[in-house]
Amino acid sequence: MIRFENVTKVYEQNARPALDSVSLEINRGEFTFLVGASGSGKSTFLRLILKEDKASSGSVYVAGQNVANISSWRVPKLRRGIGVVFQDFRLLPQKNVFANVAFAMQVIGKSRSIIRETVPEVLKTVGLEGKERRMPHELSGGEQQRVAIARAVVNRPGILLADEPTGNLDPITSMGIMGVLDKINQNGTTVVMATHDDDIVNEMRRRVVELKNGKVIRDEAKALYTSMIPVVGESRRLRDASGEELNRAQGAQL
Amino acid sequence: MRLLFILGEIGSGLRRNLSMVISVVLVTFVSLTFVGAAGMLQMQINQMKGFWYDKVQVAVFLCNDGSTAVGCASGSATKEQQANLQAMLESPAVKPYINDFQFESQAEAYKHFKEQFSNSPIVDSVSEDQLPASFRINMKNPEKYEIISETFSSQPGVETVSDQRQVLERIFSWMNGASVAAIGVAAVMIFCAVLLITTTIRLSAFSRRRETGIMRLVGASKMVIQLPFILEGVIAAVVGALLASVTLWLMAHFWLNGDLSRQFLNTPFISSTQVLVIAPVLVALGAGLAGISSLLTLRRYLKV
Ligand SMILES: Nc1ncnc2c1ncn2[C@@H]1O[C@H](COP(=O)(O)OP(=O)(O)O)[C@@H](O)[C@H]1O
Ligand SMILES: [Mg+2]
Repeated sequence: MIRFENVTKVYEQNARPALDSVSLEINRGEFTFLVGASGSGKSTFLRLILKEDKASSGSVYVAGQNVANISSWRVPKLRRGIGVVFQDFRLLPQKNVFANVAFAMQVIGKSRSIIRETVPEVLKTVGLEGKERRMPHELSGGEQQRVAIARAVVNRPGILLADEPTGNLDPITSMGIMGVLDKINQNGTTVVMATHDDDIVNEMRRRVVELKNGKVIRDEAKALYTSMIPVVGESRRLRDASGEELNRAQGAQL
Repeated sequence: MRLLFILGEIGSGLRRNLSMVISVVLVTFVSLTFVGAAGMLQMQINQMKGFWYDKVQVAVFLCNDGSTAVGCASGSATKEQQANLQAMLESPAVKPYINDFQFESQAEAYKHFKEQFSNSPIVDSVSEDQLPASFRINMKNPEKYEIISETFSSQPGVETVSDQRQVLERIFSWMNGASVAAIGVAAVMIFCAVLLITTTIRLSAFSRRRETGIMRLVGASKMVIQLPFILEGVIAAVVGALLASVTLWLMAHFWLNGDLSRQFLNTPFISSTQVLVIAPVLVALGAGLAGISSLLTLRRYLKV
């Protein structure tokens, strides 16, 4: 579904690359955590999938298509296939819950009747039934993030990207959000979530891709936030990530 | 649905930036009024040229009692002098240059004068013998005025030779100057209008960056994102252009065809209907300017 081939992203010349020859494949229906410290390149990774930024070298494939070959007038079509949620929710403060979700359908020209039918369904999926008329400021942080998730998936994208969606939420509320994302993933949507919330990652036991300084230093299935293999030094980690450990992880998956 | 949505966005944009939108309307209104005024002056010049050029003549004025010119040393022009001049006009040296000529006696001159200034008190202070008699010459080619002037101005009994066309040319060149000035003012104002539209669109894009950011992420097309902004500028400019057109029409209707045409009975003024030809030009100009400047602004300030 998403494939990175030797992708390097350099924002400013002679600064270190935000992504450094990253190669990675995420399959359809997978749930992947992207972990790493601030500045390790998680958001950059997600932006490249959306074609918000251009890779400096290497290729990014989304649904089998090299995004570099998508002309600017077809980029909206790419983005319709991808939902995004952020740490700061990004709701429209003067629109109520229903209108916020409906907005995503209006702007791509969906008919009123389809909107009236779909929005309540999606709000139910994220656990907000009965709150259609609330304004964003009348909602808790967790509820606001649910609205944002509803908006991201209302057009039934094949991919959902979440950039630290629980970054502003307390642990219990965060687990609720994870439940929603998990449900969306169960329905067949590929989910990529950038986070540095270790509890969540440890709880979920999904694939973990760890970035450090723009490099992939770990890629494990059903993993924890930190690798369980004792780490002596960086070189050891790298070797593990690129070799044995990866194989073992994949073996465990089978 | 999308159309309704875009219209709604335009409405909210116009409301949110009301004071800026009003200033765009006013600035385009003033600048396009000047553009239109320049256009009207040109139309008026053409109208007057068409009307006057085949009527204007070279006039050879004869001496009367009060004349002080060298050729008038012997006082008022005599019958012989008049006959002599007429013979010259019919001579082969002059005849090829003129279509025809007429003699206007002092009595006729007085009559025309009275007609021309019928509603002016000046008529009462002028008597028949103060006005000169003249030969009115219709030239084949008005440019050849010099030949008549050289031939006749030194003749006895001739006070002066005047080319009416020169008087008109002076008026036309004055009017041309005025229309160039109007264009100059218009250019400055249009420049202001473009800057103002640019700023307005930029502010508008900034105040709605959250919406446009979301639109972009959920895959709204470039057109859906940009059109509300562009139309916002275009609508404001078109309103300005319509105001300018109405103003020009009122000017033509109540001033040119009202006061002025009562004062200058012999002058053919352009009609208010003719002025309406300018309106679509102004609207197109306003819409085009606003459209292009918003488009360029959005390219820089609104990521899509
Ligand atoms: N628009 C940008 N311009 C310049 N540098 C950037 C930009 N975005 C990110 N970076 C740099 O790229 C690196 C990776 O950033 P980012 O992908 O945001 O990391 P993360 O999301 O993991 O915190 C950081 O060093 C950051 O400073
Ligand atoms: Mg980030």
